[in-house]
Amino acid sequence: MIDQSAARALHPLEVKIILAFSSGDIIDSARVREKLGFKEGQDQQAFSWLVAKGVLEEADRQTEVFYELTPLGQEWHDEGTPVMRIFSLLRESGPLSLPDIAQKLGFDQKTVGSAFGALSKEGVCAMDAPRRAVLARPELPQPLLDTEALLDAAAAHDGSLPETSLTPQQKALMAQYAKKRGAQDAPFRIAERAKVLFRLTPLASEYREAVTALGMTGEELGAITPEMLEKGTWKQGSFRPYNLQIPPARVIPGRRNPYVEFLDSVKDKLVSLGFEEFDGNMVETEFWNSDALFMPQFHSARDIHDVYYIEEPTHAKFIEEPYLSRVAAAHEHGGNTGSRGWQYQFDRDFTRRLILRSQGTVLSARQLPKAKVPGKYFGIVRCFRYDRVDATHLSDFYQTEGIVLGEDVNLRTLLGFLEMFAVEVAGAKEVKYVPGYFPFTEPSIEVHIKHPVLGWFELGGSGIFRPEVARSLGVDVPVLAWGIGIDRMALMALGLNDLRELFSADLESVRMRRSQYKIQ
Amino acid sequence: MPKIEVNEELFFGLAGKTWSDKEEFEEDLTVAKAELDEWDTSLSADRERTIKIELNDTNRPDLWSTAGLARQLRMYRTRSIPSYPFFASRKKALKAPYRVMVEKSVKGVRPWLAGFVAKGKPISDALLRDMIQTQEKLAWNFGRKRKGVSIGIYRIALIEWPVHYRGVDPDKVSFVPLQETRTMTLNQILEQHPKGIEYASILKGRPVHPLLTDAKGRVLSYPPIINSADLGAVQVGDAEIFIEVTGSDYPSVALSSAIMACDLADMGFEIENVQVDYEYDTPFGSSVVFPYYFQEEVSVPLDDANRLLGSSLEMAGALEALTRMGLCAYSTDGALIHVAPPEYRNDFLHPFDIVEDIMIGVGMEKFAPLRPTDFTIGRLTPIERFSRKAKSIVVGLGYQEMIYNYLGSGKDYAEKMQISAEGLVKIANPMTENYEYVRNSPLPGLMQTESVSAKASYPHRTFEVGKVALKDSEANYGIVTRQYIGFLTSHAQADYNEIASHVAAFMYLLGKEYTVRESSDSRFVPGRQVDVLVDGARVGIFGELHPSVLEAFGVMMPCAAGELDLEMLLED
Repeated sequence: MIDQSAARALHPLEVKIILAFSSGDIIDSARVREKLGFKEGQDQQAFSWLVAKGVLEEADRQTEVFYELTPLGQEWHDEGTPVMRIFSLLRESGPLSLPDIAQKLGFDQKTVGSAFGALSKEGVCAMDAPRRAVLARPELPQPLLDTEALLDAAAAHDGSLPETSLTPQQKALMAQYAKKRGAQDAPFRIAERAKVLFRLTPLASEYREAVTALGMTGEELGAITPEMLEKGTWKQGSFRPYNLQIPPARVIPGRRNPYVEFLDSVKDKLVSLGFEEFDGNMVETEFWNSDALFMPQFHSARDIHDVYYIEEPTHAKFIEEPYLSRVAAAHEHGGNTGSRGWQYQFDRDFTRRLILRSQGTVLSARQLPKAKVPGKYFGIVRCFRYDRVDATHLSDFYQTEGIVLGEDVNLRTLLGFLEMFAVEVAGAKEVKYVPGYFPFTEPSIEVHIKHPVLGWFELGGSGIFRPEVARSLGVDVPVLAWGIGIDRMALMALGLNDLRELFSADLESVRMRRSQYKIQ
Repeated sequence: MPKIEVNEELFFGLAGKTWSDKEEFEEDLTVAKAELDEWDTSLSADRERTIKIELNDTNRPDLWSTAGLARQLRMYRTRSIPSYPFFASRKKALKAPYRVMVEKSVKGVRPWLAGFVAKGKPISDALLRDMIQTQEKLAWNFGRKRKGVSIGIYRIALIEWPVHYRGVDPDKVSFVPLQETRTMTLNQILEQHPKGIEYASILKGRPVHPLLTDAKGRVLSYPPIINSADLGAVQVGDAEIFIEVTGSDYPSVALSSAIMACDLADMGFEIENVQVDYEYDTPFGSSVVFPYYFQEEVSVPLDDANRLLGSSLEMAGALEALTRMGLCAYSTDGALIHVAPPEYRNDFLHPFDIVEDIMIGVGMEKFAPLRPTDFTIGRLTPIERFSRKAKSIVVGLGYQEMIYNYLGSGKDYAEKMQISAEGLVKIANPMTENYEYVRNSPLPGLMQTESVSAKASYPHRTFEVGKVALKDSEANYGIVTRQYIGFLTSHAQADYNEIASHVAAFMYLLGKEYTVRESSDSRFVPGRQVDVLVDGARVGIFGELHPSVLEAFGVMMPCAAGELDLEMLLED
C-alpha cells in the first residue's frame, strides 16, 4: 500500500496521469497531450518521474520519421523558393541572362542553374536567342507550387513534419528535398525519433487509491504568485505540498574573511581591556625600527639579511628632534638616561635608512612621545621579515604589540597584564613566566601558557622599557611593553596548519572556511 | 640567537648536577634565559650524548659555552661564586711569563689584542670541540662575524716568545694557512682561501693587514682570517695552549679573553698571564697584563629596584638574590646596592640591569601578578572604525572579504597589471623575486584570486581592506602608507554598470557625495573607467578591467573592479 506521504509528494502532472488512466493502459506523449492538455515537455517530465517510481513501464518503442526544416528550408519558406523567386523576377523584369539573375537575387550559379532547369522542364521558361531566360507561361504549374505547400505545412508544425502526415505525392516530393543529415543545401533534414509507449503498472491503482483518499486532483496550487494574491484565487484551491527533504540549492553569501574577523576579535578584546589602537607606516627608518629601541647599530640582528631595505628612496629626509639627538646620545654614552650607553659612534646617516618595519614595537616607540599617562596602547600591524616563506614563516605577517604607561606600573602589574591576555585573549588555564631577553626591555619576561588544545607554548614577550628607550622618547614613568603571538591561535581557530593559508587567494576555500573560535 | 651544543657528561660535571627529567632541566635553564632545543636521551652512552641549547640573551656571551652556562646554573643552586685570581686589574698588578709586542703599524687596522696561556691537562676531543665552538660563537655573534672580535688558539710548544702583532703589506707576506698545503700571500688568501673569501670584507682595500708572528718571524695567524698550518694547529692531546683575541672593539676583546680564561679555569686548566706591550696608549694602559679585569662597579638604590619590581625586598634578600646570580654585591648604607660585575660579564649598561638579576635571583614565582588599576578608555583607530563600516556595506552587496600578503613580485604587481613598476616601492635586498615589491593596490591580490579560482561558482565578488605603499616625494620618507578598499566582480555579465551601481550604493551608505570623471588607467578598458571625485579630490577609480590584464592572469571571465582610498573618504 502506498502511504500518504508518498502520494503527497507526487507532482500535479503525475497525479493527473494517475487519475486519468488505469493500470494496464498503454499511453504515449500524443495521447497524454490530447487528453490532459500537457504542454510539450511536461509529458516527458511526468513519464520519467513515474517510471522512476515504478508506476509506468516501457511497453514498446517505435521509430518515427520527421522532416525538419533546415535553415535553408526556413529561408525558402520566408523568402520563396529559388524557382518562385526567378519566376517573379522574370515576370517583373522581362528576359534576363542567368548570370544577371544570379547577381540580382544573390544566388550562386548552381542554384540558378537547377531552378532554371526545373522551370524549363515544366515549360515555364525558355532560353531566347541572346541566351536570356524568358517566361513561356504566365503562372506556375502545380508540381512547383507543391513545394511551397510542403514548406508552409512544415513551418506550421514548428518546422517538423511527421512522415505519417504526408500524402504519397508529398512523400515523393519530399524524397527530392530531404537528406539524412547535415546537408546544408537541402531545405529538409530527415530526423528519426523514438516514440515510447508506456504501460501503467499495478502500482498505479495503489497510487490512485491513495491520491483519491487524499482528495488530490492535480489542480493544487503551486507557487504563490502576485497575481494569485491580487485576484484571491488562492482561496478556491489548496496548496500542493512540496518535497521538503530535497537538498536546497547553494547560495553564495557576501561575508567577512574569518582570519580578519579573528584579528578583529582580538582588537575588540584589547579595546575592552582599556587599550587604544595605534597604526603607522609600513616603511620605517632604522631609527624608529631599531635605534629608538636601543638596539646598537652593530647588533647582529640588524644585519643586511634581517630587514628589507627600500631601494628608492633610500633615506628619510630627517628624523624628528629632539629624539634623534637623545637616542644618539643614549647609544653613544647614555645621554641623560643614567646609562653608560653602547660606547660607539652613532651613525646619523644609517639611522635615516628606509626599511620595511620588522617589528610592531616600532609603533610602541613612536607612540611614546605622544602617549598619555596613564595610558594603554596596542596595535595589530603587518611586519616584514627576511625569511624563507614556508608553513611556519611568512615574509609579511601580523604582530600584536602594546604598551602601558603609568606612575605605578611595575613587574607585578606587567605579570598582571600578561595573565589577563593569557586568560582573556588566549583562553589559557595555566600561565607561567620566565626571564627573557629583548634589547629594549629590562627586565624582560616571556609568558608561556597552557592552552586547552595546543599545550604549553610561548604566548609572548614583554618587559619594562629600558630608560635608554623611554627617557630618550620623553617618558619618565615606567612603560610596560608587550607583544603576543596570536598566529597559532588563529590557525587553530580556523582549523588550519599552515600560516600561508591565512592569506589564501583561493576563493572556494575562503568561502567554505568556518571559524571555530569562541569569543571569551 | 646563539645555539650551542654541549657534551652531556662535561656539562653535568661542570654544573655539579645530573639531570634526568627534561622538564626540571628546562626549568633550571630559565635562570640563564636558556631554552632546551634538543636532547635525545635515547642514544646510548651519556659520554657521547650532546644537548642543544638556545641562549636568548645576546648580551651575555659568557653563557654561550658549556662552562659558562654550567657556571650560571651551579652558582644559582650553590650560591658560591668562583674566584679567578689570575686577573690583573688597574688595582692589581701581576707578573706575566709571556709577552706580546703590539706594533704601531697595526693600530689603524685592528688595534686591540688580549691573550693568555692555559696549561696543566691534555685537551680531550670533547674539550677541543667545545673550545672551537666557544671561539666561533664569540667571534660570530658577539664579535660581529669576526669584525669586532676573533680568537686564535696555538700550541705553546712551537712558539718562540715574545710574539709580535704588527701591520704588514698583504702582497709581501706569505705563509701556509690551515686547510692548505701551499704558501700564499695575504691577498691570495683573501681571494682564494674559503675563510679568506668569507671574511675578506673586513680587510679588503686596507694597505696594511694584521699579522701575528713569533720571535723568529714565523706566522701564527692572519687575524681575523686564518691560522697558520704550522704554529696555529691545535690537536687533541696538547696540554699547553696560547689563546689570543684581536679586534676592533677593546672591551669586547678583553671580555672575550676573560670568558675563555674563566671557562678553561673551570675545566681545570691553570691560567698564566700574558703581558701585551702596545707601542701606543690604550684605555687600559700601554702595557696590559691579560686576563685583565676592566669592568667598573655599578650601583642601584634598593628603592629603585623595589619600585621597578613592585616588591618590598629587604637589603639582605636583594643581596642574596644577586649572589645566586653569581654577582659580588654589597651595601654600606643599607640603601644603595653595589655590584662588582664578574670577570666574564660586561652587560651592566644601566643600574636597572642589576634589577633583572635581582628578579631572577629571587625567582619569578615570588612575584605575584597584580591586576592593573589605572583606568583608561580603549578605542579603535578612526580608520579601523571607518573600515569596519565600509566592510559591512560591501558584504551586504554580496562580496567575500579576502586578505593577501603585501609583498609580491614585479610580475604580479606591475607586469600583469599592465602598469610600470616605477611607481612601486621596491626592496633593495629581496630574498627572492617573488617578494620584491610592496603592493600599491589591492587589485593584484584580487586578480590572483581570479586566476586560481576559475572552478569556484560564479559570480565571484571579492574585496579587501588593507594597506598599500605609495611613493610621495613630499613625505619625509618619500613613501606613504594608505588604507585602501579594493573590490572586484567577475562573472559572464560583469561590467561597468554593475560596479558603478555598487560604488553608488557604497558611497550613498557612507554619506559621500561623489562625481565621476573619465579616467585613463592602463589597468582598465578605455572609455569604461572613471576616477571617483569627492569635493574635487580623486579618491579612487573603478571600471572594467582590461582584457590584457585578464589574459595576463589567465582569467577567462569578465571582471569589473575598483579601489578607493578609505583614508581620504574618512577625512572631513
